[in-house]
Amino acid sequence: MEIYLPIAEMSVQWIVILSMGLGVGFLSGLFGVGGGFLLTPLLVFYGIPSGIAVATTLSHITASSISGAVAHWKRRAIDFKMAGVMMIGGLAGTGVGVWLFAIMRRAGQMDLVVSLTYVPMLGIIGAIMLNESVKTLRAWRSGHAPARIHPVNHVWIHGLPLKARFRQSRLYISVIPPLAIGFLVGVMSAIMGVGGGFILVPAMIYLLRMPTSVVIGTSLVQIIGVAIVTTLLQATNNYAVDIVLAAILVVGGVIGAQFGVRAGAKLRGEQIRLLLALLVLAVALRLLWGLLVTPADFYSIAGS
Amino acid sequence: MRHALLFSLLLAATPASADQLVSGVSQELIQITSNYTGSDIVVFGAVESEPGRDVSGPKDVVVVVRGPEADVTVRRRDRVAGIWINHDAAKLSGMPAYYYLASTRPLKAIAPAEALTHYNIGLQSLQPDSVHSHHDYEPFRQAALRHLTHDGLYTEVPGGVEFLSATLFRAHVPVPAGVTRGQYKVEVYLFRDGDVESAQSTPLFVDQTGLERRLYNFAHNQPLGYGLAVVAMAVIMGWISSLLFRRPA
Repeated sequence: MEIYLPIAEMSVQWIVILSMGLGVGFLSGLFGVGGGFLLTPLLVFYGIPSGIAVATTLSHITASSISGAVAHWKRRAIDFKMAGVMMIGGLAGTGVGVWLFAIMRRAGQMDLVVSLTYVPMLGIIGAIMLNESVKTLRAWRSGHAPARIHPVNHVWIHGLPLKARFRQSRLYISVIPPLAIGFLVGVMSAIMGVGGGFILVPAMIYLLRMPTSVVIGTSLVQIIGVAIVTTLLQATNNYAVDIVLAAILVVGGVIGAQFGVRAGAKLRGEQIRLLLALLVLAVALRLLWGLLVTPADFYSIAGS
Repeated sequence: MRHALLFSLLLAATPASADQLVSGVSQELIQITSNYTGSDIVVFGAVESEPGRDVSGPKDVVVVVRGPEADVTVRRRDRVAGIWINHDAAKLSGMPAYYYLASTRPLKAIAPAEALTHYNIGLQSLQPDSVHSHHDYEPFRQAALRHLTHDGLYTEVPGGVEFLSATLFRAHVPVPAGVTRGQYKVEVYLFRDGDVESAQSTPLFVDQTGLERRLYNFAHNQPLGYGLAVVAMAVIMGWISSLLFRRPA
């Protein structure tokens, strides 16, 4: 069964796209990640133009993040002030990112940007996850409790000006680090089609030293805000958002996420995390392969 | 439209006592809908000889379907610092977005190369109107022909025109999913002795229809409203899913 995407101007097997949404949604429910970093390359492998994939994945992220944020909001586990500060940085970042996106696409370098940014990112994340899950599995096997990672005390952060009080996070810190983190994640959202949770969460825990209980909910609010604004900017500046593709991905994503949450409660997390690490590394290697291997045809074409 | 369908254009070169070519297409409007996976049109026609004229010589029919003109950007990858990146590019303007040629015999057997080039018949005689490139564009043109052929947008089918009787002929022309919207031209040429004796051109329209068309227009005419609609859809679906699948706290 094929369905015609009006913006991408191509026909796709909708069942394949729905499965991608389901699968990535399942993983995001299981691991609490947005999954944009897997969905964008999957769509590109399928043949969706990089630009459309990057811009449309953000709808999937919006939906699954809202689904998750509602639960955190009910538990009052969101620091709206912190999310607001990061969002200001995020909006500036996404503005810069969408502008870069337009330049890259005009120059025919969008595929290169996607590959060049994804290879190191997925490589590093995959390696860290693989390392951690192997360590944990080994520790279990030998009967020792896994070692905990201690947050580093970043003295320089406390020397920065413009301090503000974040009551929910029980912090009194400068607004510059959250602004900078938000900016970075905003740029990434626009040019990579990711929510940025995998950067935000560790940065909030280890850099800002926020209490873990409010980190996920707060990062989700920031991600929702940036994803919504990026979608609007991509739609108005680059006409790169495909509503039919978005709808299929969103339906798959929200259903998959619910099954993922349920499965996560039952399954042994470490083993699944090992599989996810291998999956992430495989995607990185596939993209790296495309950059390094001599192409069969040196020429490629693009329509007007 | 019906009057435009037949007899719309005869080439000026038609001799006075030539065979008459009459042709038509099975469908003059193709609408791309959400479940469009490609379709076929049939180009049919008849060659009517003048009474008493010697018709023993070989006659050939060539059917050409040309899509609307498009800009094709061809990029060449080069190795820079160990990785393959798009480096040189050539923009070929005015190439047909779709080109399908069916003929009774291979083109080489029908007419000499000069005649084919003169009438712009055959993939190899396709030339861009203008080129934006720093280099010799011929390798880029060849790459474009190769890729578009591979994608099923450029096709040459010798033997694709069949004569059902001494005078009636027919050709199937596929219109695959993913063709560009716009006005197409269906050209039918009658060749005798290596030259065009008669020709006809009929317009064919390919358009998105229904929801697809409206969504495309929406996205391009009111991008902000369109973006808001996409966001609203994602927000509502995310919110509904959190209600439907409320998990025990």
